Amino acid sequence: MPFGLTGKVLAISAVGFGVTVIVGFVVVVLLISWFSNPPFGLGNAPPQPVAFPHTIHAGAPSEGGMGIQCEFCHRNVTKGAAATVPAVEQCVFCHKIALGRTEFEKAEILKVTQAFAEGMPIDWERVHRVPDHVRFVHEAHIRFFTEPANGQTRTLINGEKTDQPLSVSQTCSVCHGEVASMTVVKPKQGQSLKMGTCLDCHRQNNAPTDCTVCHK
Amino acid sequence: MKLTRRNFLAWAGLSAVGAVACEGFGIREGEFSLQSPNMLPEDLVRGQDNWYATLCRTCPCAEGIVVRVMDGRAKKVQGNPIYPVNHGKQSARCEAGLQAVYHPDRIAGPMRRSGARGSGHFTPVPWKDAPGTTGLGTLRQQLQDNGGDMLMVTEPLRGHLALVADRFASAVGGQRLGFETLDNNTYLAAVSNVFGQEKMPDFDLANTNFLLNFGADFLSTWLSPTRWGQAYGEFRQGKGRQRGTFYHVDSRFSMTGANADRWVPITPGWEGHLALSLAYVIMSEGLAHSSADIGTLTGGQGPSALERFRPGAVAQRIGLTEEFAGGSPEEFIRVLARNFANSRPSLAIGGGSAGATSNGLFNLEAIYALNYLVGSVGETGGIKFNPSIPFEDVPSTAQVATLDDWARAAEDIKSGKTRLLLLHNADPVLGLPDSLDMRRTLEDADNLFIVSFSPFLDETSIMADLILPDRVYLEDWGNDVPEPGPGYQVVGYQQPVVNPLHDLDPLSFPDVLLTMAQELGKESELPWPTFQSLLREGSDSLFELNRGSIQAATAGEFWNELLRRGGWWDDGITGPTPAAPDGLFASIAAKSSEPNFIGPDPASDTFYLVPFSHNTLLDGRNGHLPWMQATPDPVTSITWQTWVEINDHKARELGLREGDSVRITSYADSIRALVYPTPAVPPGIVAIPLGQGRRNGSSYASDRAGTESSNVVDILEPMKVADTGSLAWAGTRVRISSTGASMRVSKMEGMVTPVEIGTTEGERIIQTVPAEG
Repeated sequence: MPFGLTGKVLAISAVGFGVTVIVGFVVVVLLISWFSNPPFGLGNAPPQPVAFPHTIHAGAPSEGGMGIQCEFCHRNVTKGAAATVPAVEQCVFCHKIALGRTEFEKAEILKVTQAFAEGMPIDWERVHRVPDHVRFVHEAHIRFFTEPANGQTRTLINGEKTDQPLSVSQTCSVCHGEVASMTVVKPKQGQSLKMGTCLDCHRQNNAPTDCTVCHK
Repeated sequence: MKLTRRNFLAWAGLSAVGAVACEGFGIREGEFSLQSPNMLPEDLVRGQDNWYATLCRTCPCAEGIVVRVMDGRAKKVQGNPIYPVNHGKQSARCEAGLQAVYHPDRIAGPMRRSGARGSGHFTPVPWKDAPGTTGLGTLRQQLQDNGGDMLMVTEPLRGHLALVADRFASAVGGQRLGFETLDNNTYLAAVSNVFGQEKMPDFDLANTNFLLNFGADFLSTWLSPTRWGQAYGEFRQGKGRQRGTFYHVDSRFSMTGANADRWVPITPGWEGHLALSLAYVIMSEGLAHSSADIGTLTGGQGPSALERFRPGAVAQRIGLTEEFAGGSPEEFIRVLARNFANSRPSLAIGGGSAGATSNGLFNLEAIYALNYLVGSVGETGGIKFNPSIPFEDVPSTAQVATLDDWARAAEDIKSGKTRLLLLHNADPVLGLPDSLDMRRTLEDADNLFIVSFSPFLDETSIMADLILPDRVYLEDWGNDVPEPGPGYQVVGYQQPVVNPLHDLDPLSFPDVLLTMAQELGKESELPWPTFQSLLREGSDSLFELNRGSIQAATAGEFWNELLRRGGWWDDGITGPTPAAPDGLFASIAAKSSEPNFIGPDPASDTFYLVPFSHNTLLDGRNGHLPWMQATPDPVTSITWQTWVEINDHKARELGLREGDSVRITSYADSIRALVYPTPAVPPGIVAIPLGQGRRNGSSYASDRAGTESSNVVDILEPMKVADTGSLAWAGTRVRISSTGASMRVSKMEGMVTPVEIGTTEGERIIQTVPAEG
């Protein structure tokens, strides 16, 4: 008998080996999925083609920012599913005048003005993303929190309750965190954007929780 | 574990499955790429555009335009690049005219009056082919019953529309009167008397060296401002030429005056005296051009014919002060005359308020006669005359009724002689002085039936018994002989570039007239089934001339090309060069007179009233278009309101500040307006724009809370220009008193906080460097 094992022991070993391999494989796949996708990831900021500081653009004027509202640049956020990033042309509305104060700023802004002059787009790296099987419409969520409350109390994800309508920018902060204070936007600085977070909020606000509401 | 063949295959298979699975669960390339487009999506227009050539009708000069049409909707109006009148440029009025197509206050279809006259209550009726009252049926019945007692009032008409309207009026036994508040009859009479021409001349401003203008706001509203604005650019900044010199003589500081090298403020009505004084200096100092025969021009008297107009006798009377002249007013006139005569080619033109006092005809004749002295008649840089038009029997000069004509028309309505009144694009209730009391005349005329063809309600059409809305000009056919023309034969063509919106049911005015003519058995006078067929007939006659800007093998090809280009012209057919009439200056001097005014005598609170045509609203015809209302006046930057320009020192004396509401009172009536103090008005003068004061019709023209909207024509006295009978609209004196109320003047001027510029790199306008030292 080769190796001194009976056929039965060999069969059990083979099955055990197979189960271990398969379980190990599934674990590895889940770990890859968990850590590599930003919604579930490690919270690292992806590298961007232009160093865009939300602090200067959206930050409060009292803190050196310009207080630009989110929807001024993310023009579609109150109209459709995607918030959208602004066209280069919109950046140039201001940056044909505002050309930067420091050498670093000038160099970064030059990338934008040059792209516009050459008719080229800018390829940003997405920071927030929900999986493909999830349907998320920004417009509906913005509308819910910005409409007059009519006496109803709304509950934010962090459990805070309010009976006053929020501004669009305040609504954005509910999920995305205080982006206006972020020099670099990273994932998971507001909410994790996991399914549990969504469900918690839907339940607290009597929003539907049927699978098909969010899942394709 | 022994690496058997079986194990190897098992491991290989597992590895392959694992690799595929890992890839499937992993992240696809580009998944996190988020591309921002270069241009805003809103800027991307889908569809294909077409540009159609046609004519603008927002002002009488009828500029050639091209209209951008996408998916059946007119989107943008621009100047027709090849049209000889405006060469691709356009006025703000042309661009704003687009709003007439989409205006919410357009009358959708025929309406019959259902309340008291003037109440604004109307009931829709069908055009035809229906039981009961119909629009065309009612009109036909009225024409059958009262056609012989018909008065048709239209805007000033030229071209084939004038032909149709005149023949129609004549065929049914009535008459037609052209209406315009600030008519050009006095100007036309002066051109006829001085040059022997019956058509308005053109001015070769582009090649002039010295321009002397009396009262004509030719860069803003007078006759053909877009054409002359282009020429003015050449005159001042043309390549390869010296910058021209421009003196503007006017009692008001208009947009044209603001562009002059020197504005010469003058007491209203004395322009002719200054012109003859200049002529006297030119003659007596031997400065006249060699082509000018002084003996012939003065009837053999020489300079002595104008002795009583010598500078010493005139300077003080016309309002020239030492303060303004920077020394002796007499010397100012002499220097001006020398510069004018020695800077050839020189050009003297006049219009506007210079021809709108009781002695307006004398003023304009004296002004235009100056051109003979400097050899500018028919010459480069001078006055160019227009040839006759290539059509027979087609009016090329708009006939406009005088104040006398309107007084007679009002009498005929009161006496019951006129029983049917047809109105087309004319608003005499708004545009005639209150002294004629046209509003009450129409209200009280029980036996008068009024039919309006206006697509919008206005002060007169609100009185109508029947409204048959016309198409607006971007939806309709037409043609025009520009007045003034560019010095050669031109016929502009207007074609419909869009259809009316689906909820509108207008009918073309000339088509209604032609339909009525056929139904009344007048085919012999008006044999055309549609207006388009008449225009096509005109096109065929141009084709048969076999000359001009369009070369075509067939009449059909010619017609298509005519519409594509927006008109036909032949720069080889130019106007005549007239000779000076014998004794011209002597006859002008003989008819000289001082201006008469009606109103309170001179006192600290009384003023000469100088009304002026609004830059976009003109005499009020464009008041319903919000873009026109919102276009700032070029001098004051005021929008939407009626203001009174008053000297700032004088305002201070009277205790008035900007925005104070004042009552301006003549013997005839009074109105309210907001004070706009400015140093650019002589102390004894106030100036008020026309165009506002509508009380009926579109809400853009009326009923505006928080604004002052008045019609200055209401307070004009029925003063007439001698020998023409036209309204002397600058012949009224008024008193000004405060109402105690005040409101903010809606102007752009001074509203923007001044900021320092040039402080960032993006504002590299002026670079400064520290002085070395």
